[in-house]
Amino acid sequence: MSGNDHSSWSEDLAAYMLGALEPGEAADFERHLAGCEHCREELRWFAPAVQTLPESIERQEPPPRLREALMAEVRADAQPESRPVKQQSRRWFLKPAMGFAVLALLVAGAVGYEMGKDGAGDSRGSTIERQIGGIGVKMVREGDGGTLHLSNLHQLPRGKVLEAWVLREGKVEAVPALFVPDHNGNAETAIADMSGVAEVMVTKEPQGGSEEPTSKPIVAMAVPQ
Amino acid sequence: MALRREKAERLADEELMPLVGRKDPEAFAVLYDRHGGAAYSLAYRIVGERTSAEEATQEAFISVWRSGARFDSTRGSVRSWLLSIVRNRAIDFLRSKAGKAPKLTFDDDSALEQRPAAERTEEEALRRETAGELRDVLGKLPGEQSKVIELAYFGGFSHSEIAGMLGLPMGTVKGRMRLGLEKIRVELAEGLA
Repeated sequence: MSGNDHSSWSEDLAAYMLGALEPGEAADFERHLAGCEHCREELRWFAPAVQTLPESIERQEPPPRLREALMAEVRADAQPESRPVKQQSRRWFLKPAMGFAVLALLVAGAVGYEMGKDGAGDSRGSTIERQIGGIGVKMVREGDGGTLHLSNLHQLPRGKVLEAWVLREGKVEAVPALFVPDHNGNAETAIADMSGVAEVMVTKEPQGGSEEPTSKPIVAMAVPQ
Repeated sequence: MALRREKAERLADEELMPLVGRKDPEAFAVLYDRHGGAAYSLAYRIVGERTSAEEATQEAFISVWRSGARFDSTRGSVRSWLLSIVRNRAIDFLRSKAGKAPKLTFDDDSALEQRPAAERTEEEALRRETAGELRDVLGKLPGEQSKVIELAYFGGFSHSEIAGMLGLPMGTVKGRMRLGLEKIRVELAEGLA
């Protein structure tokens, strides 16, 4: 592509970000964008400027009836499948046939525990620290719950997230909050209920999370009771 | 129920989205409470009247509820994703009601800034302060640049429509959009970032 060709794409970039290209032009630009790192970089650089626009306007208070109407619709829609996440995760686990991935997780969890015991960290009071497979793992107990801190993580491939799991009474349960490493390779997730948890594990899962583990854990650590 | 709400409030937006995708009303309620004000304000800024702003905001949030799992955290924050949905809905409203709703032009938006402000929380006051700083950044733009940016972003006009309205070549309109965004970006990097 010549420099002149590219300058026309550069000219289109701001209009594209402001939603001001005609649909056909926007489609052409997106095709170009898919193969042009320079434009993608510019797009990332410009993004905060566009994000400024909705934040700069005079704030209006939404009427309370808007929230009420929304929540009424949401609760009605959620009714057939609404259930606390803990119940949901237990429901899938209580299926008679345990998935191979879950079995693999349990086995890997035991291995991870041994690795953890050989690590540099130790357990002090309500905090457990380990080095597992080059990943720093710290489990901080806070009341009934706790926070799992991970460090020295690699960045995840596009479309992947981290999902934590707990082993409680011999059953694997999903921790509802998905998480990703920050730029420094650190990540953390809260575990609301640590009662009876024997092990904590983390797997890489597709965006949106999984109802049961689909990969081997990157971390599996035993939690003393 | 109160405990679940408390737990949901401790989660980041990116952590709430998978729960919304799993149809958790409390996660959705927290998301609305965090961003509903900004969403409604944006819709109101675009459509210029309360009923349509409510409808656009409601449609946008319901679409989030139904498609929460489609959020891709690698492409930006939940807030910017959500506001882009609200903007699209509000622009659709504007277009579908063309002739009835007041179309934003480059010199009539002052009316939108004069609406009475309701009682604010402390957090809202802080946001207003930030919004004021951002308005200062936008205020530093040459009028010819802020005009085309506002017409495009808040008015939903294409660059060719703006060129027709202002009697300018399309290349000039796109050039002014780019120059304006560059200036905002530089100001952000120097002052607010």
